[in-house]
Amino acid sequence: MTKLTHTFAALGDPVRFAIAERLLTEGSQSAGQLQDVAQISAPAISRHLKVLREAGIITRRIDKQRRIYAVNPEAVRQINRWTMAHKDFWTASLDRLDAALKE
Amino acid sequence: MTTLTLERRFDAPPEKVFAYISQTKHLLKWWGPEGMDVPEHNLAFDRTGPWYSVMTNDEGQRYKVSGHVTHVDAPHSVGFTWAWHDETDARGVESHVTIRLVPAQGGGTEFQLNHVDLPGDDVAANHEQGWSSSLRKLEALANS
Repeated sequence: MTKLTHTFAALGDPVRFAIAERLLTEGSQSAGQLQDVAQISAPAISRHLKVLREAGIITRRIDKQRRIYAVNPEAVRQINRWTMAHKDFWTASLDRLDAALKE
Repeated sequence: MTTLTLERRFDAPPEKVFAYISQTKHLLKWWGPEGMDVPEHNLAFDRTGPWYSVMTNDEGQRYKVSGHVTHVDAPHSVGFTWAWHDETDARGVESHVTIRLVPAQGGGTEFQLNHVDLPGDDVAANHEQGWSSSLRKLEALANS
């Protein structure tokens, strides 16, 4: 099993995906700020954060008594490496098609 | 559902452009960004049926994409499905590509490409595809 498979498995849960999405779009947040990501108890949120951390998708740092979570850039890079953005693929390819047609 | 639309204008007539977007020998001249090799492929959009290509760059990264050619209407349009494979060769979320060619004034060709992600709602019922749908959203965020 590759690391990427673990990444996908961890993100399969809608609450965990919502947490990752929140951290990707809004930047790092404390455990307290993340409580409203779903209608579930604080301990349940904590368990999801633990799963995400163990899968390497998010990181945690302690700031005084607050725990701050952020998306691990390496996890995002891994997902990026797996696919090429469709726009990048086609834009670059069509430039070459244009050149090939002119030969 | 997200749609990527790209439009180009080529001086070549539709028949020539169609040959370049459908025949293997021509596709290999432009398939993939500059610097990519296509060491393995079954790349032809002049017939329906399966297709795939493996692209590699000089850093050794490998990108595999595969699908099924769904329609061929020379020299007007082709359609094919598209999905990236991960490093275990598991096929990811499927999307659909349509290329249309319209004769332009003066003998050239108006080229339009649509790359459409299939709607997430339709696949959410299935757990495996459900996370694929989530992954697509994450991909989009990571790529933005």
